[in-house]
Amino acid sequence: MVTLFKMFDQISLFIVNLTLTFSFHLTSIFVINMKVTYCTDVDRSVVLSNFEKRGWVHVGPDDDWNFYWAGIQTCRSLFSIDSGYRMHDNQMINHFPNHYELSRKDMLVKNIKRYRRELEREGSPLAKRLDGKYLYLDFIPVTFVLPADYNLFVEEYRKVGPSTWIMKPVGKSQGTGIFLINKLSKLKKWSREGKNFNTSAIKESYVISKYIDNPLLIDGKKFDLRLYVLVTSFRPLKAYLFKSGFCRFCTVKYNTSVGEIENLLIHLTNVSLQKQGDEYNSIHGGKLSIQNLRLFLESTRGKTVTEALFDNIVWLIVHSLKSVSYIMSNDRHCFECYGYDIIIDDNLKPWLIEVNASPSLTSTTVNDRILKYKLIDNMLSVVLPPSGIPDVRWNKCPSREAMGNFELLIDEELAAKDKSGPSIKIDQKERLKRKT
Amino acid sequence: MEELKDKSLHLTAEKLAEELQKMDNYTTFYEDLQVLAASYDVSIDDFKNTLVQAVNKGSMETNLRNAVFHWLRSHENNKQMVVREEITSRESLDYLRKAQITWERRIQKSLESMCEEIGIHLSYYRSKADRDEMLQKWNELSTYNTNLERLRPVYAPKDFLEVLFSLHNPNYRMISDDMIWDFTYLPLKVKTLSELRHLYRDLATADLLLGLTTLTKMSCGSTLQGEQERIALGEKVLEYQHAPVCQEFLKLCAPRSLRGRLWTQILGSNVKSSEQHYTELKERVLNYDMLIDKLITKDVQLTACNDDQYFVFEDVLHQIMLCFTRDTDVLSVFNSSTSHPILTSLKGKPSKEAIYPPNGIIPFHGFTMYAAPICYLFNDPVSLYSTFRAFYLRYWFRLHNISSHPQSILGLCILFQRLLQRHETNIWSHFMSHNIHPIRVVFKWLMKGFSGYLLPEQLLNLWDMIIAYDSLEVLPLLAVAILSFRKDNLLQVNTLQNVDSVLVDLSSLNVMSLLQLALKGPNQI
Ligand SMILES: Nc1ncnc2c1ncn2[C@@H]1O[C@H](COP(=O)(O)OP(=O)(O)OP(=O)(O)O)[C@@H](O)[C@H]1O
Ligand SMILES: [Mg+2]
Repeated sequence: MVTLFKMFDQISLFIVNLTLTFSFHLTSIFVINMKVTYCTDVDRSVVLSNFEKRGWVHVGPDDDWNFYWAGIQTCRSLFSIDSGYRMHDNQMINHFPNHYELSRKDMLVKNIKRYRRELEREGSPLAKRLDGKYLYLDFIPVTFVLPADYNLFVEEYRKVGPSTWIMKPVGKSQGTGIFLINKLSKLKKWSREGKNFNTSAIKESYVISKYIDNPLLIDGKKFDLRLYVLVTSFRPLKAYLFKSGFCRFCTVKYNTSVGEIENLLIHLTNVSLQKQGDEYNSIHGGKLSIQNLRLFLESTRGKTVTEALFDNIVWLIVHSLKSVSYIMSNDRHCFECYGYDIIIDDNLKPWLIEVNASPSLTSTTVNDRILKYKLIDNMLSVVLPPSGIPDVRWNKCPSREAMGNFELLIDEELAAKDKSGPSIKIDQKERLKRKT
Repeated sequence: MEELKDKSLHLTAEKLAEELQKMDNYTTFYEDLQVLAASYDVSIDDFKNTLVQAVNKGSMETNLRNAVFHWLRSHENNKQMVVREEITSRESLDYLRKAQITWERRIQKSLESMCEEIGIHLSYYRSKADRDEMLQKWNELSTYNTNLERLRPVYAPKDFLEVLFSLHNPNYRMISDDMIWDFTYLPLKVKTLSELRHLYRDLATADLLLGLTTLTKMSCGSTLQGEQERIALGEKVLEYQHAPVCQEFLKLCAPRSLRGRLWTQILGSNVKSSEQHYTELKERVLNYDMLIDKLITKDVQLTACNDDQYFVFEDVLHQIMLCFTRDTDVLSVFNSSTSHPILTSLKGKPSKEAIYPPNGIIPFHGFTMYAAPICYLFNDPVSLYSTFRAFYLRYWFRLHNISSHPQSILGLCILFQRLLQRHETNIWSHFMSHNIHPIRVVFKWLMKGFSGYLLPEQLLNLWDMIIAYDSLEVLPLLAVAILSFRKDNLLQVNTLQNVDSVLVDLSSLNVMSLLQLALKGPNQI
């Protein structure tokens, strides 16, 4: 087994080197004029090797950097008022200062709820409802923030009857602190024990979401999707979707019996959690490419429903971004790559579970490493102007070649300029027609 | 004259009727006929005519036509083509037959010594507790507990290749041992490139091949009009349920959404009784515990379970592969090949000889890969199983036994070598000058039908071509096309190991365009 890994490693190195020598010629032209300097506080080889490949020079945070690959903490403090830091035109950073509007579980829900209300007030056809449910914007599981919305939750719980819910601490990640409940009494017990409902202790707040208990299974196992979405501007909205997303599978067969409600290996798809299970396989890491998922679905379920599913996924991403586009501080120095977590149910309806502002860049397998290397590479070529040097004055319209494995989701600026051509993937009117 | 024609027609009909009675779906067919005969459409006064009319009106005629089609397909393919134009369905070359027998003995010995080493018998009656556990875990067999630590695959493709290399034509005196591997001395007739071009002419000249575009885009945008039209046509073809028409349609590759149904039609694996058959096989798995189960389980674990393209199907693969070992219908492959199933005396009854395993097939390392890609096409194990079995019975069994059939592994190896030597002379002589055996480079691709080497979608396109043109010759053709495509890199390396590393990652290849390239160019490939 060890030798097998070595071999794989060799291969991926080989591939990486190939790409290296190939693209060297492209970038070298610009390096002659000016050396791009970068700074980083994350130690991820897929990131660093991309900088090296471009011939960028590493500098410290206090030096004159052009490109900062920062953790969210660093980014926040850089943008904070007390830091007093002002970026110049040739600087760029990989987060928006208030990304949490999208990436915090409670904020995401609040923003989407608000977005729907606003559209409804405007009388937009998008906000049409049927039996109380939004027809086109019902893409997140019913969710409440605890303790604040406790009464609302209880009301809903009584209304829907026996059901399973999932509790998630808003401030944690990688599946920590998550549990399922199917009885109100359990929630009460939990709140009494942990004294979590002391409203002053806001930091331990939770979201409670309707558990999607009919997930699409493949050979009996649950999975979710991890898709990468790159945003280069929120106003006008410019977003790209990385084509090589993947599914993350549970290692244990799905089972809704009450006895198994505490077995998180059945219910949670987080790789960090599944890794600890006995059945975890480090060769494939439980990851299946989205192309293969699509092949399976088209073959077994048909083309029309599969296409509708992928359309709906694109739709969901675009509207989740729109829901925060007016709140995000639209700093021209910023771009951000979000990890979208999506669950597909057995009616092939996609549900948005969560958006991560710093999706994992550790690689669990060789293919994973190749994928993430490519993700960063393509990301850099989308956010950088053709000169290869960060420049906020650039119009942020990458060429088709520069997009690599990304495809354009939406570009409101292009759409406004060129009313005739469809620059949002699915024309809204078209879609409304199709749905009704 | 007319009379003579009538007579021969009558004889053919008689022969066919006899053959049909032996087919899987005969019972259901007969039942349908009885139901029809009892229906209002058929009157007792004019029984014969009204019955024929009723048959022609409903789906029975289609079923009958398809049955004849499947019968014809399976019989044409079993004729052997040897240089001396002998036509028999059994092996005519004595030394190949002997080699196969020796090889089977070796396998048998190796099985027996494995039993001894581990201290188990070839077959047991399963204990009640074990049976219950297995039944409970039937849908998650990957968690069914068996100790496989000490088990090794019986043989791997490279072992089998050595056996092929050692084949020796007694009519030739070898000039030197070096030349053995190029099979020159075996009198097997294989197609030339122009014959292949003729066979695959539809593929070569097609303007719109579905497999050329791949699933790379996330959102669909608009599907190409040509593709839409083909899907619509395909739907229509399927509606009529005529297997030969389906086969014709498949020649330009299947739309993803229709592939499963097309394959089922053409392979005739849509038998009504398959559900019941599968349940019986399951029962047989539950009743007996066999060494072969452990070998199969081990193979699933070593291959599909570790493969990032197929791991999601591990449980259903366990299931169908176990059922396969119990399927005595598979024994029919021995009617048309040199090989024989292993006979052993099972303990208990006094020296009773039995075929082992019940289906007669000893899996080699990677055997599971014959089934893995088909998992993408079906959600239920029964359809999956039937299609896999039909595929095996028609094609795969040829890839792991020694025979002079042009579609046998030997024939495919020779075809590969001829094509490479004649049409990629540069690569050929480069390999020669560095003492690299070309067949070693591609043997595993050929023996596993490329399964595990191409992305699933590409692989399914390739297998479309196998079914549509009813031939495995597309495998060596693709092998040569791949070498040709990577020529520049191949010419820069000069050891087998480095050649392998140039070819290790085939995930970027598009099968249909490579095949077209190979078939189209005047002197290319
Ligand atoms: N409403 C739901 N229905 C079904 N499954 C869910 C639901 N919410 C979450 N899950 C499962 O739980 C997993 C973890 O949830 P989530 O992604 O929201 O939190 P997290 O992984 O802890 O946060 P982060 O991704 O920031 O590390 C998901 O990947 C999904 O498999
Ligand atoms: Mg998550």
